[in-house]
Order: sequence, then structure tokens, then C-alpha cells
Amino acid sequence: MKNPEVIGKFEPIRDAVMKVTGELKYVGDMKMPRMLTAKMLLSPYAHARIKSIDYEEAEKLPGVHAVVCYKNTPRYLYNSYLRIFEDDIPRTEQVFSDVMRFVGDRVAAVAAEDAKIAEAALKLIKVEYEELPAVFDPEKALEEGAPAIHEGGNKVGEEFTEAGNVDEAWDQCDRIFEDRYEMPPLHHMAMETHVAIADYNSRGKLTIWSPSQNTFNLRILLSRIFDLPMTRVRLIRPAIGGAFGSKIELNLEVVVAALAIKAKRPVKLLLNRKDNMVLSRTRHEAIIYIKTGVKNDGTVLAQDFKVITNTGAYASSAMDVVGAMAQKPFKVYKIPNMRFRGIPVYTNKPIACAMRGFGSPQIFNAQQVQFAKIARELGLDLVEFQLKNAVKPDGIDQRWKTPIGNPRVEDAIRRGAELFNWEERKKTKNSPLEAGWKRGIGMSVGSHGNSLYGAHRDIMAVSLKPNEDGTFVLYTGAHDMGNGSVTMQTQMVASILGIQPEDVETVEADTDLVPYNLADYASRGVFVEGTAAKKVAENMKGKLAEKASNFLDCMVGEVEFANGCVQVKGDSERKMTLGELITKTQMVDQEELMSFESYASSSNPTSYGVHFVELWVNEAAHKVKIIDYVAVHDIGTIINRMGIEGQLEGGIEMGIGYALYEGLYFDDKGKLINNTLKRYGRTHPCDMPQNLTIDFIEANEPAGPYGAKSIGECATVPVSSAVFSAVCDALGEDLHKFPARI
Amino acid sequence: MPQIVLNINSEDYILEVEGNETLLTVLRERLDLTGAKPGCLTGDCGACKVIIDGKAENSCVKIAKNLVGKKIETIEGLSTPERLHPIQEAFIETGAVQCGYCTPGMIMSAKALLDVDPNPNDEEILAAIDGNICRCTGYVKIVDAIKLAAHRMSGGDQ
Repeated sequence: MKNPEVIGKFEPIRDAVMKVTGELKYVGDMKMPRMLTAKMLLSPYAHARIKSIDYEEAEKLPGVHAVVCYKNTPRYLYNSYLRIFEDDIPRTEQVFSDVMRFVGDRVAAVAAEDAKIAEAALKLIKVEYEELPAVFDPEKALEEGAPAIHEGGNKVGEEFTEAGNVDEAWDQCDRIFEDRYEMPPLHHMAMETHVAIADYNSRGKLTIWSPSQNTFNLRILLSRIFDLPMTRVRLIRPAIGGAFGSKIELNLEVVVAALAIKAKRPVKLLLNRKDNMVLSRTRHEAIIYIKTGVKNDGTVLAQDFKVITNTGAYASSAMDVVGAMAQKPFKVYKIPNMRFRGIPVYTNKPIACAMRGFGSPQIFNAQQVQFAKIARELGLDLVEFQLKNAVKPDGIDQRWKTPIGNPRVEDAIRRGAELFNWEERKKTKNSPLEAGWKRGIGMSVGSHGNSLYGAHRDIMAVSLKPNEDGTFVLYTGAHDMGNGSVTMQTQMVASILGIQPEDVETVEADTDLVPYNLADYASRGVFVEGTAAKKVAENMKGKLAEKASNFLDCMVGEVEFANGCVQVKGDSERKMTLGELITKTQMVDQEELMSFESYASSSNPTSYGVHFVELWVNEAAHKVKIIDYVAVHDIGTIINRMGIEGQLEGGIEMGIGYALYEGLYFDDKGKLINNTLKRYGRTHPCDMPQNLTIDFIEANEPAGPYGAKSIGECATVPVSSAVFSAVCDALGEDLHKFPARI
Repeated sequence: MPQIVLNINSEDYILEVEGNETLLTVLRERLDLTGAKPGCLTGDCGACKVIIDGKAENSCVKIAKNLVGKKIETIEGLSTPERLHPIQEAFIETGAVQCGYCTPGMIMSAKALLDVDPNPNDEEILAAIDGNICRCTGYVKIVDAIKLAAHRMSGGDQ
């Protein structure tokens, strides 16, 4: 049973007061005695071999303490996206390489007394390059004779999955639609740019402070690269100033580590925005071919996706993103014949990686925009079309005929249509607007997962320690990015122990201090980390109940926890505070209680979002006004209403940017053109919907803690296709290239 | 290096600064006032906003030596040890804070607005924070927070 005092209420993020006062220290704010400043020399060429590099002059410059490049750092090959210890994803990266594979690739780095000296030292490094032919377009990179960026060619691999038999199904279709959609790479635009500090002491211990989403895997990588035992590598995650997937991979940490090991002094490296836009990773550029066969009544019989993603210069999460993308349509629609083929490709562009949705926005962009077109061409109502094809709550994955969980996409479609007044709005759609403005409506469905189950193991371990006054300390490896995953865990613990979230202090994401946690991605916060936190509290509750039963002279099952006290059920006279209970345990039993729980996710249900939008377009003024927006999400149960609303509102902002404003563009030499935030484009405050309605379907996910499932990534998945479709509707045109620049 | 006096949060600081040193560098590196954040260093994101003579400004593009004689307010000067500023309280209560990196700058923009216009409409609020990027919240709860603070500061229910 959930505790309504704690679960489902508005709970501000637990460090909010530190944030509004500016007190909270992000890594960029941290200073250490004798700390050096690092700067990097980046490749001016998209593809080049370093013929020679001379850094002697730089090393001699007074105030310079270390210069590193491929010549004096380990040449170990790694994949910065390593997920688990024995992972065998393609290893293409090095601390520094002698081959540059994109404009901005690392050539060398310097650590000096201050930034000015470090910059002066960079100018003293003499590099001779042999320029190599480069390729930027992923389809061209696949052609025969294209410059090979890595041995074995530019195709990283191929993901394939199919339900039914797509090739045989086309004959049964009344109409077949074929489209090609293009989506550019995006900048995550976390407000905190990438930053890291390293310290390497005389005991041979490397300590890194980084706003990482993934400290435990970074520890494995650093241990291997620098050949250090894991006891000599420690990753600490202070505050994270936004991440959205960009802070999963090993990035600057390896550079500051190399410099600190050489200088034997702490080293900090903070990127400026221009470099960050190239080096912080990008959302995968995608080209999606989609072929869909339907009956005249709107039943989709077959759908075939061919997806080409641009992973950029190195493998990173190339296979993982297409692998995750491949699953999504099978969790939303009961289309009997569906096929997905995904091909990630190396090019000489910056490295792509996870970005909120991990491939989901791309696949739904293509599918949902095409669905809107199909419904229009068949003269069918789009909501009816969606309902005809969406999975029911007892729905199955058509490939394996296995249940999906408790998918409530149908409920979300109906609720959204009602809140949006879909029927009425269709009728008024053609009523005139002010001169120059055109009205468009759109609706889209999207989904995302809840854990890594099905991809690889997904473990979260936590421990919980009581204090003598009845408060607790939770040791959690969660990497809270501001999304509230730690706040949520304190709610779980508080709810079980009958206390308040502020009675739970947290020690977070430090590989030497807290038990192992896989990482923070895959929207696993509530579903996996929340369950682990709930279980450790239940474990503690069991121990406390046993002690209380002795002290209160009752059966264990009679002990109740509420308002910071334990009492015998039905007897308010026989009670004691948790503080008294814990202290008495020390005094009488001479014992300290501590709970530990290791939880491995054993399912991966799907979260759904259905979004509706009305917008007005003015082509002459190059303006889009989003008038009304409705977002309904199937989230099982709400744990923190404030948090879940905030996640959804932020996801909508990000998705509007994808649909209308954002994209990284490069010149024919591979250099980023729009390299400032101003030129990059974004959803301004005034571009947000004038009327925004959000609502949730709370239908209980049996496998989730208190029946909850995720919102984090799913929040942004349906947005870009809904907004893009509405622009198409307004213009009466089928657009195929994101963003729909007006 | 030339010596200047800057008035920050009603205190005079005697500082040695380099010719082109920005106010953001002075605040963060010389005074350890790290509430103002570097987000772009091009004046495009607002994470480093402070108030200079009543106006919210990006401290990353303001040259420190040009600010002699001006009244500079930073996030560190907003609350007292006893009490948060009503805007800070409202940001917490409405959920306008997520990762928090944009928050100090956003609050300074809000303060600059409410100091001159205690009862702004939606359009004025949106314009006041147009130069502040928040990638987490979609601005919805930030606008709510500014409205709540305005209501309280102009004598609404405390």
C-alpha cells in the first residue's frame, strides 16, 4: 500500500535550496590546492594522420606541468560507452590517437598553472598533418570506395528484427506508402558544459570528480586504460548541471586523468560552449526509410523500417541506439508484419551517443509523421486510425507473442483526444485566422522503456543506515541529473518506514562509498532504482520490527510504522519513536543495524505518451505559435507529481526544438557552422505552448514500485513528430526533413 | 595589474584585474562567488546573469573595469542567513528547479523584472527570461514561480 503522505505528492528536489542560493558546488565551481588548468588542442581536420608532433617547447614553457598526446599516453583501445564489465561492443577510441577522425578530435592536452599559460603552451605544439579524404553523409559513407574511417569499413554493424513476414504481406494491402525522413544531429544543450577534475596521489590513487551519469563504468574503463587496480580508481559525481545522455560516456575524464598522472597535481578541464557542441556527443543524425501497407479501413498490415544512423567518428553507442530503437514499434502497435533494419555508420562528424529517448524520437518521428499522412490520404480520422492499430492492455509483442506489461496507450489516446476536444477541433480547423496565419493540428504516440532488462543485466544495490534519532542515511549510486531520482528514492524509503523524505540523508554516486549501480540512463530511475530503495527500506523495516517486537512485547507482524514511531497494532499506549528503538538496540542488544539490498530488474515494461497539438504557422513572418498542447502519459503510478510534471514540461520544450529549431550543421570540411547557442536555435520561453494541459493514466504497472513506471525519456518522444505533423497539416504539405524550418 | 573597486552585494571590493577580465571571471575566480555559472561565455544562455544598476546582465560579456561605480547584485546577495528571498522560495515551492545550473541566473532575471514591475503579465515574464536558457523545465514552472513571487511580494498571501 502506498503512503499518501509521501507517495504522489508534490516533493521539491531535495537540494533545491542549495540551487536557488547558488551554494551548490558543481565541478566547474570546485577548486583544489595546487590545482592546474587544462586545455586541449583539437584537430582542425575532419580526417588526417599526424605525421609528426613536437611538444618540447610547450613542455619547457614556465608554468606548464604536463603535455600529453598519443606519444606518451596508453594506446589501449576502448569504447567510451562500456556498459558492463565484460561488454564486447566495438573498441575504436584511444586517449589520444595519431589519426584524427573529426574536426575537434583530441590532438594533445596541456596542464598549466593557469588558463593563459595553458593556451600559450598549446600554440607551441607543432603538428604536421597528412590530410585524408573525409566523408560526412552516412549514406555516402556506405558506398563502395568511400574513405574508410576504421578498419573494416564504415558500417558499424546491423540490427535486424521482424514480426510475421513483411515481404509476403504487401500483396494483401490496399495501399502502400513509402517515405524517407531526415533528422540532423542535435546538441544536448545541458547548461553545464562538460568538465572534470582529476587527482593522482603518491599512493597511485586516481580520483576523478565528474558530473557523470555513469561513474561505475567509467571506473572500469579508467582502470583498464591506465592499468590501475580498481581500488586505485575512484569516481565521484558531484552535482550534474543537466545531462540528457551526454554525460554517460568516458570523455574529458580520461584527459584529466592522463594529465594528473603525469603532473602529480590536481587538474581541471572545463569546456567552453563552442568546443562542447562538438565534443559532448550528439543525438544520432538519422535517415529513415519507411514503407507501410494498409487496408482501406486503416488497418496496418505491414511496416518496414530501414534506418541509417550516423555514429560519427567512433563506435560509442552505435549498436545500442539502433538496438533500442528497433524494439519500440513492437511495443506500441499490433501490426502483424513489421520489420526493422538499422545500420549505424561511421563518418567524419562528431561522435553521437545517447540523447533523451535513445533512438525513440527518431523512429517515432518517421512513423508518426507518416501515419498522419496515411490517415489524411485515406480520409480517416487519425485518432481512430491509432486506436485501430495500438496494442490493448493485454497486448503482446508480435515477434515473440509475449506480454508487454500493462500498456495503456489506448487509454492515453482516448484521454488526450477528450482533453484536446479532438472532434470539435477538427470541425473548427478550417475557420479563418488573421491574415497570414495557417492552422494545423497534429497528434502522435511515443514510447520508451524502463530498464535495461532484455539488453543486458541491470543491477542496483543500495544500503541504508539508521541514526540514533530515527533518521537514516541512504547510500545510493544514483546519478541525479536534476530529474529527482534521489529525491524519489528518499520518498520510497520514507514511505516504507513511516517518516518524511527529509529524514533520509543521502550519500550518492561515489564508487568507493556506495554500492554498485549500473548507471543513470534507460529511464530506469523509478522502475529499477526506486525498487531498490523500496526494498532496502523494507529490509530495514523487517530488522526494526523484530527489535520492536522484543521491546514492545508483541508479534513482529503487529508492529506498525507511522509518524516516526513504531507501535503495537491497535494499542497506542505501546509505542516508541524510531530514535528510541534504534538507541535501545545499541544499548540493550549492543548492535548496529544496517541494511543492504541488491536488486536486478527482471522485466522492462513500456511507458507511453500521446501528444496533441494545435499550432499556427506564418510563413512570411517565419513564425510558429503553439496554441494548444495536450500530453497524456501512461506512467503506472505517480511517485512525485512535481517531478513528473517537470520532466514532461521539459521534454516538451526539447521536442519542440527538435521539430522546429535545432540542428548541428557542418561545412564541406566538417567544421561546425552554427557553433554558438544563439546560432544553434532553441525553444524560447515564448515558443512554449500558450495552453499546456498534461495528464496521466495511473493504471498500475505490476512490476514497478508502488505500480510506477518511467517518464524521463518518454516525455520527449512523441513531441517532435506531433509538432512536425501539425506544421505539415498547416501548410498542406508533406515535409520530410527535420526541423520544419518556417 | 590595475586596481579597481567594485561594489558587489553592497560591499566594496578592491580588486586587481587584468584589462579585459570579465565580471564573471572576477566573481568566480577572484571572489569565489560561484553562483553565476559559465554556460556559453558568449552572452547567449543567461546562466551568469547578475544585476547591474537594476538591469539583468550577462556577466560573461561585461568587462570588469567598466563597472566601477555601479551597483552589482549576485545570487549570493539575495538571501539573508535568516530568510530566503521570496523568489527563491517560490522557485523551490513550484518545482522551478531541476538541475539548478540555470537557476541563479534565472532568479536574477526574475528579480530585475520584479524590482521594477511588481505585477508583470505573462508576456512580460516571458520577455524577461528570454535570454535565460533552461533545458530541464520547459519554463512552465519558472513562470509559475515568478508569478507566485510577484503575488507574495506585492502583499498577497504570505
